[in-house]
Amino acid sequence: MSEFDVIVVGAGPAGSSAAIKMASQGLKVLLVERGDPVGSKNVSGGILWGNDLAAIIPDWEKSAPLERYVERKVTSFLTGDSEIAIDFKTKKFQEKKTGYSVLRTRLDSFLARKAAQAGAMVVTGVTVDSLAMKDGRVIGVVNEGETITADCVILAEGPNPRVAMAAGLVGKPNDRTVGIGVKHVYKLGENVINERFNLRGNAGFAGEYVLSFLEGDVYAGGFLYTNKDTVSMGVVINMATLRKNGNTHSFDIMEKFAQHPFISSLVEGGQLQEYSAHFVYEGGYEDMPRAYGNGYMLVGDTAGFSFSNGMILQGMNYAISSGILAGEAAIEARKDNDFSAESLSRYQKKLDNSPAVLDKKNFQGISNVVWSPMVHRAIPALLESSLYSMLYESGKPKKHLSQIMMKSLKSSGMNSKDLMVQGYRLMRRM
Amino acid sequence: MVKQVPDSQEVVIDPVTMNLNRSLTRNVTNRADENALEAALQIKDRTDAHVTVVSMGPPQAETTMIECLARGADRAILASDRFFGGADTYPTGLTLAATIKAIGKFDIIFAGEETSDSSTGHVGPGVAEFLGIDQITYASKVEYKDGFVTAERELEDGTEVVKVPTPVLVTVLLNSNVPRRQTLRRKIDAIRQGFESWDHDKVGLQPEWVGVRGSPTIVRKMRPIKEKERAAKKVDIAGIPDLVKELYQKGVIKVESD
Repeated sequence: MSEFDVIVVGAGPAGSSAAIKMASQGLKVLLVERGDPVGSKNVSGGILWGNDLAAIIPDWEKSAPLERYVERKVTSFLTGDSEIAIDFKTKKFQEKKTGYSVLRTRLDSFLARKAAQAGAMVVTGVTVDSLAMKDGRVIGVVNEGETITADCVILAEGPNPRVAMAAGLVGKPNDRTVGIGVKHVYKLGENVINERFNLRGNAGFAGEYVLSFLEGDVYAGGFLYTNKDTVSMGVVINMATLRKNGNTHSFDIMEKFAQHPFISSLVEGGQLQEYSAHFVYEGGYEDMPRAYGNGYMLVGDTAGFSFSNGMILQGMNYAISSGILAGEAAIEARKDNDFSAESLSRYQKKLDNSPAVLDKKNFQGISNVVWSPMVHRAIPALLESSLYSMLYESGKPKKHLSQIMMKSLKSSGMNSKDLMVQGYRLMRRM
Repeated sequence: MVKQVPDSQEVVIDPVTMNLNRSLTRNVTNRADENALEAALQIKDRTDAHVTVVSMGPPQAETTMIECLARGADRAILASDRFFGGADTYPTGLTLAATIKAIGKFDIIFAGEETSDSSTGHVGPGVAEFLGIDQITYASKVEYKDGFVTAERELEDGTEVVKVPTPVLVTVLLNSNVPRRQTLRRKIDAIRQGFESWDHDKVGLQPEWVGVRGSPTIVRKMRPIKEKERAAKKVDIAGIPDLVKELYQKGVIKVESD
């Protein structure tokens, strides 16, 4: 007889969601988190998209510690001197919220408290060393040489899953599957934020940037999100290109983003309150591990559930939905008293019909386009020189757009055939 | 005896209100108290001692009580009552002494040398006085044998070794040992076991003796320390005479004649 029905390793959105789901249905759940307080080791850019929490916390929009709802979404190319952006604002998001900015120390603590209220035992400040195995199945977790038994273990360790890796359940992170995220939180005050970002009340701004001005061929994206009285800003750096440019450091890239003329004016005078860095999961559908086995399930980033199509970066919503589905699978497995791989394969079936997997499947290969020279160098250069030529009054007879663009294309160093092919790919993949 | 304090490494002072921003600060067990608990547990390792942890504080000190149990204490009692709030070191010592008295027999009371949030070092010695027992302060090493405590005390000009019969109170130096880690097994057991919360009735004290009403200290005034303005300036060698002149005029440096 096991001590717990399920042990959940990691109290991020995925682990806590699974624990809430299971504990509220009467399962004996242990939620173990190495951070103390919960959330102190967790990093994300900070927009929680979607309404997935509603399934386990119906009043989440009122009770959860949310900062601002996204009303203004900017997707932007930054060159050395210029910014070319799509700036989408809509009051439609006020009635139907699409996303909220969050600070993880607060959100993750809230979710872990909800898990405890639902009846889970929450242990913080302790690290699980490894999985306990017997006859080819997981029978619990090991800490300091002692085994705590459970019929099932849910691994919600994030993008650098030590326990899952040591047990051979997932591969080691590599240049393709992870990027480096660096993040700062600056305090600016509510009024300054509202003025600078043209916001009212608890409306918020979410910006994502292609940093095309970086030296060498390092590819990185920037983000800037507004919280109540702080802003979260950071960069996500492509690991492979960073490694090729040995002299470039992640903090330099962060600094260059913060010092860009059209970014620095937004965060000027801010007081640094937090700084952090973390792996960002970037693997595609083909990198996803099998999410279940004898006595275990994988959720959230550990199972490869984060997503980017260049316009939107998502992770927490998939973490929550995968946690809930794993929770459902565990509840059903408990009823059947069967936690074998065959029984837990119901989790994979649930996943296969969910956006968590379908989005990854439908957007296969997107990362090759998002992290391409076209997006990170050619398009920004082309747009900048075209717009500049069109808008600068030189006192000479004007040229047609097509002429300007052809000239800009030549100077961007990309041939038109490549651009056509890659542009077509981008449109299809997105 | 332990106390939960704001994590001193994370203390954030709001530059506008000058208040300690406790919403950002996490609470931890006072580090010297962790050394005190470890000293007690080391004696428990060698004898059949029973270790009880006693604290006074608000309900949120629960995490500290569980943590102490998870490190190896046998029992944890939190004196917690709204009447205890706002206490200075006098009623704090009184409350802890009364709690210990209510528990019953004891041989050694361990306390940290001082807390990181107020640094008075009063409470340990105060408890010894209230209980009318001997005390050993600033101990770096504590041994127990046949009814005697032998302790090394770190003094400015050397180490003093003292031997005192029990019952005795010992305050333990910060970093004098390495506190053992909490394990998952112990933590689970600690949560299941739980701690006891005692109000003023259970402790056996009248409301007017404790908390803010029982505190003889009256804070008349508090003022923030104004930070001196500082500036950095880069000058080449030729600029040094001008810089010296400027510093002299601003009164930063002065010329002393003999």
